[in-house]
Amino acid sequence: MRMLDKVRLRLRSLFRRPSVEFELETELRFHLDQLIEENISSGMPPEEARRAAQRMIGGVAQCKEECRDMLRVNFVEDLVQDVRYTIRSLAKSPGFTGVVVATLALGIGANIAIFTIVHGVLLRPLDYPKPDQLMYLTAEAPAIGGTGSALSAPEYIEFRQMNRSFAAVGAYSTGGAAYTTGEVNLTTGDRPLRVRSISVDAHLLKALSIQPEQGRFFGDEETARWTGTLPPPIAILSHELWRTAFGQRPLVGQKVEIEGRPHEIVGIMPPGADVMDNHTQVWLPLWLHPNMARQREAHVLYVIARLKDGVIAEVAQTELSAFLENWGDRVGTTDHVPTNRPLRSVDHTLQLRALQDAIVGNASRPIWVLQAAVGFVLLIVCANLANLVMARAGSRRREFVLRIALGASRGRLLRQSVTEGAVMSVAGGILGLWLASAGVRALIRAYPTSIPRPSELTINLPVLLVALGLSTGTALLFGFVALGRGRTSSMAAALKEGARGSSGAGRHYARRGLVIAQVAFAVMLVIGTGLLVQTVYNLTRIDAGFDRSRLATFSMTLPMANSEPEARAQAYQRVLDRLRSLPGVLGTAAMSGLPPNRTPDVIATPIENYTSDDGRPFAIIDYYQFVMGDYFGTMGIPIVAGRGFERTDTASQGKVAIVNETLAKRIWKGQNPIGHRLRPPGGSFGASDDVWHTVIGVAKDVRQRGVERPAGTEFYVSLDQHGVAPPSMNVVIRTTLPPAALSGTIQQVVREVDAAVPVVRLRDMDSVFAESIRRPRLLAQLLGAFAGLGLLLAAIGTYGVLSYMVTERRREIGIRLALGATRSHVLTQIMKQGLQVTALGVTIGLAGALAVTRLIASLLFGVQPTDIVTIAFVIATITAVAVVASWLPAWRASRLDPNVALRDE
Amino acid sequence: MAKPTDLVQGTLDLLILKTISLEPKHGWAIAKRIQQVSQEALQIQQGSLYPALHRLEQQAWIKAEWRPTETGRMAKFYSLTHSGRKQLERELANWARLSTAINIVVQEA
Repeated sequence: MRMLDKVRLRLRSLFRRPSVEFELETELRFHLDQLIEENISSGMPPEEARRAAQRMIGGVAQCKEECRDMLRVNFVEDLVQDVRYTIRSLAKSPGFTGVVVATLALGIGANIAIFTIVHGVLLRPLDYPKPDQLMYLTAEAPAIGGTGSALSAPEYIEFRQMNRSFAAVGAYSTGGAAYTTGEVNLTTGDRPLRVRSISVDAHLLKALSIQPEQGRFFGDEETARWTGTLPPPIAILSHELWRTAFGQRPLVGQKVEIEGRPHEIVGIMPPGADVMDNHTQVWLPLWLHPNMARQREAHVLYVIARLKDGVIAEVAQTELSAFLENWGDRVGTTDHVPTNRPLRSVDHTLQLRALQDAIVGNASRPIWVLQAAVGFVLLIVCANLANLVMARAGSRRREFVLRIALGASRGRLLRQSVTEGAVMSVAGGILGLWLASAGVRALIRAYPTSIPRPSELTINLPVLLVALGLSTGTALLFGFVALGRGRTSSMAAALKEGARGSSGAGRHYARRGLVIAQVAFAVMLVIGTGLLVQTVYNLTRIDAGFDRSRLATFSMTLPMANSEPEARAQAYQRVLDRLRSLPGVLGTAAMSGLPPNRTPDVIATPIENYTSDDGRPFAIIDYYQFVMGDYFGTMGIPIVAGRGFERTDTASQGKVAIVNETLAKRIWKGQNPIGHRLRPPGGSFGASDDVWHTVIGVAKDVRQRGVERPAGTEFYVSLDQHGVAPPSMNVVIRTTLPPAALSGTIQQVVREVDAAVPVVRLRDMDSVFAESIRRPRLLAQLLGAFAGLGLLLAAIGTYGVLSYMVTERRREIGIRLALGATRSHVLTQIMKQGLQVTALGVTIGLAGALAVTRLIASLLFGVQPTDIVTIAFVIATITAVAVVASWLPAWRASRLDPNVALRDE
Repeated sequence: MAKPTDLVQGTLDLLILKTISLEPKHGWAIAKRIQQVSQEALQIQQGSLYPALHRLEQQAWIKAEWRPTETGRMAKFYSLTHSGRKQLERELANWARLSTAINIVVQEA
């Protein structure tokens, strides 16, 4: 009770100072008035009574001050006093304060920004109930480099029935099985939108345990047991789409046009609900065409499963391994089943992993690399600040010693210097937090698709705690460093030493040690950056197999539900013809999949006179490319054998095809592929039946799925010859104009052909490439920024130590010059010292870099972690920086006037 | 005239606590009361009284309240808190011990 009262009173006297002051004034005046009254009543005239009373009371101000002392809470008051004193003394050296606070803000800001990403993306659990129970099931075909692939429908159903470990197993598709490309046209009012879609079955919702915010989810009878010829016309909207496109008006139960068909909106998802970072805007029911549901070669379903309560992932993995031993026997077929022994290229196995790992995927290593990089930056920052604080403590040594001599306790001085550190750290920390939040926001805006789970990136409690920890840690460090420097064995000596401060050898070692550490960390950062920059350079220089200059592209979709394949072909043809007739357009073509970043098709294709490794008459072809117009000419893809498609092919009856070099090599193994025949499933591009296609030419390989991946097998069909087209096509235009200039015309041309079809992703091919290497580029840019920062700080550190040393040795240098040392001799000597420190730092840094660059080997392309060019370049850069940093103080030392230096005591 | 500094260390607190133990008083009344009861021997100066009052208040031994005096002016009235009453008992016991001890020494010597 008393404790509480005390606290209340102290807070009052601290924070309600004006009213406390007023009360004190009133109370003392009352006392004075009483005294005057007493004097008057004893017979004094009023004036005299007042004077007598004032004489008697004495100094009112003094009394007030004493009362105030009593009101004060010593500890808090001292703290306030310390902070005030600190702010005053820091304000007196704005240069020092500014450098420290800015350095801290950069160091802490970079760390918080990256930790926000680490926390939001990697550490924070997914936004589903019991997220650690969620597992992701993929098909792996290591023999042909296929990893993380979808499952076939029979596999999915068999796994759901066989397993005992999972409470629910659900599937989704964003392409193939969904009859979409993961995007659909959606009409709101007069505006066609292209929105991201996902097709899910009823089991998936059970597995994820999410519920629509309004309405209901799909039922089993609308997904697995649906018997229509198209998926049921129902949809669920994401909260975000409902808000932006429909202004949150009541929508459940109403019809919205999706892919040209009216769909009933049965529900709205809660904010942020998504699957696998798909940025889903529309949820559609997953329905499989009976043919596809039977086909074991069509890997089209992504599977998410939830473990039963109490079952651990290892048990589920063991169970899955047991299934893989004899999957075929269990389900009664030997036809393309998953197996534990992948021997031949056609075999595949199944793999379980935690859903969070699957979502974050290969982004986790770059993020940890960045975290390590900013950690290095913070270490450099701390080393730099320790150096600065030491220098300042050195020059304030007399002040400290004087204060000790006047009776300040060591503890009080420590508190003072920790306070100094704390004030700067808090300022740096707050600035850093601000920088971090601005940085993260800018990062998400600039690279919306490069960072997984962007919606989870907020500065929240754990992030704030880390920020607090960083600030406190640096504050304590400063205090101890500063005081450690203030320590003195002989006060008298220190006082006598005068304003020159002291120059203990130990301190120089400590400060040089710090600079060496800075240089070492900077070397590691710069080497990492060098390797990544080279990676990005290599990636941009990859020959993707076509000429991407002056190429504009966009995509459009004529929904399958309300268009016939023949009508679609005519519509696309009209678009191509009109664009071709525009001034500045050199050529136009359309294709089903846009390289270099398309999804694979993986279609089993019968081939005449062919037997695969496992004795089948067909091969799995990675990519089908359905083309219209002068595809090879417009794209600049060389035909290496035979010929390309020609206009005369259109009328002729025999269907023709072109294959890429990889397909030719893999299937016909050195024989001439021209004249061989393949039979692609007509359903894949809108034709009614499967017919044999004769190979008439071989095209140069084109990178389809990421520029860094080797090209797969590719098979070209000319849609002009068939007169049909699939719903979605990508149009390319070889033009001398920038896409922005064409934008209006393209919109108009497409609107004239079909007003309900939006023009999607109009851009030049260079941006498509930039997009495909956005992650390594982002990593290289961020790491480059951090390395630049580290390098700058290390340079400042070197410069600072040398110039401090020069200042301290002014007299000595002056004497040497007076005794006949040449100026160039002085210059070389000081520079030598700077370069020695740098050389040591570089050596240590190189050793460190060799140890850690192995960790980023998987992020590199076309360059080894021990790349000699990079290392040489880094050494050259650091040396150049060190020369600049050392030259300035050395030059100043060599310009010393011995007369001035010696007189200046 | 005895100066407050002549008071044995800490006895001002005791005097204040004792004086307000019967009823709440403002500073002036406290000083007057001590003066009267001590038959003008102890005159408490403003410069000692108010710091002491504020110190005791910060210790939560006494609490203050603004109230009108009989002449209608507002004054700050001090009264004992629960813990202040206990403190008074402790100080009284201390004082008794101390004064007895001093008396013994003075008389024996």
